[in-house]
Amino acid sequence: MTPDCRCNIAARAARELEDGQVTNLGAGIPMLVANYIPAGIDVVIQAENGITGVGPVSPPGTEDPDRRNAGNLFVTLLPGGCYFDTATSFAMIRGGRVAATMLGTLQVDGDGNIANYEMPGRKIGMGGAMDLVAGARTVYVLTEHCAKDGSAKLVARCTLPLTGAGECDVIITERALFRRRPEGGFALEEVACGHTLEEIAACTEMTYTVADEVKLDAY
Amino acid sequence: MALNKMIPIEEAVARVESGMTLALGGFLGQGVPLTLIRALKARPVHDLVIWSNDGGYGDDGVVELVKAGMVRELHCCHIGYTPAVGRAVEAGDLELEWVPQGNLIEMLRCGGAGLGGFLTPVGVGTAVEEGHQKVTVNGRTYLWERAVRADVAFVRAHAGDIVGNLCFRGTARNYNTTVATCADYVIAEVEHAYSAGELDPEKVHAPGVFVDAVVRADVSYCGVRR
Repeated sequence: MTPDCRCNIAARAARELEDGQVTNLGAGIPMLVANYIPAGIDVVIQAENGITGVGPVSPPGTEDPDRRNAGNLFVTLLPGGCYFDTATSFAMIRGGRVAATMLGTLQVDGDGNIANYEMPGRKIGMGGAMDLVAGARTVYVLTEHCAKDGSAKLVARCTLPLTGAGECDVIITERALFRRRPEGGFALEEVACGHTLEEIAACTEMTYTVADEVKLDAY
Repeated sequence: MALNKMIPIEEAVARVESGMTLALGGFLGQGVPLTLIRALKARPVHDLVIWSNDGGYGDDGVVELVKAGMVRELHCCHIGYTPAVGRAVEAGDLELEWVPQGNLIEMLRCGGAGLGGFLTPVGVGTAVEEGHQKVTVNGRTYLWERAVRADVAFVRAHAGDIVGNLCFRGTARNYNTTVATCADYVIAEVEHAYSAGELDPEKVHAPGVFVDAVVRADVSYCGVRR
């Protein structure tokens, strides 16, 4: 997984965001999405530790220990942004004010199950992810298509503890974009530059259909 | 005459005894009551039951108490930045309960507010369900989650007065306003201390009525200050 691949995922994901949306970006690839929001689109980035209007990472020398995001990184605050306590933050999240949440994962499957907080020998924790996938209107999983050892992350059935049952709406990898259909199941809608339908089929254990109007070389 | 709650930190942390439940404000490295946590390390207490967002950040925070062998149970939502906490769990030295972040804060909020619990959609269909009664309201399934109250709470504030009114700054507010309500004995470490009447009452985030003791924070923790 090269930095280019991660940026490619983030850039494609940024095009999903709509003007005026409140969005929560998880650690890792999702946080990169902030760098690719198209001109003319105003997105309010919320971080669950208690801040809206999260701006770019603080330039060196301007870091404020009391102005950080949920990944503990020093950030800037955009005009209109504000601070609040954790209970208020999760009222926003569960109460339906967060339109989109983008998060990484260890596994995701064709039923929209997401597993991203624990694997054998490594306990990480769900943080606010369980609340976010239950509360946000659209849940995006942004992930490398395969794990570092080459094993599938888009699996037939999640075997790790679930973060959310049936919550994933869109999966974006460096190779493909899958969107959940209203009737259930994921459809392959886009294939990234340099990849083919056959190649996607070979590295995806998750059940999916190919959309009638699947776009090749889409991003 | 205002009640002066400013006391020496040793006197404040002496309220913590072995086996007690301790609630902590703070999120990773933000607004963490590190002065109190470090003062507690000098006390001969063990088997603590801790409610906190996380296991700390790097070498700072709850992880210090875990390494000192003082913690029996940790109820939190993240230990990804403190591998030593994960190792203690794997070794069987520490009992860990995963609590989703929004459920965690609401459990403490209910405990502080005299409520018995709440219905949450978060965790349905996951391992969090275990041991929880399910309730259906208007067709949606919820878990019945319990309220939590602690014996002692530690919070960190940017400013506080001698009667315990607290003001927070930026994202250091996080759990602190809620944790300040959820224990029988609440200790606030404050970066800046004021007399009664000096804080703008419109800017107080946590009323002093909830706070039992105020101590000075070590401002060298959590980065350089203004």
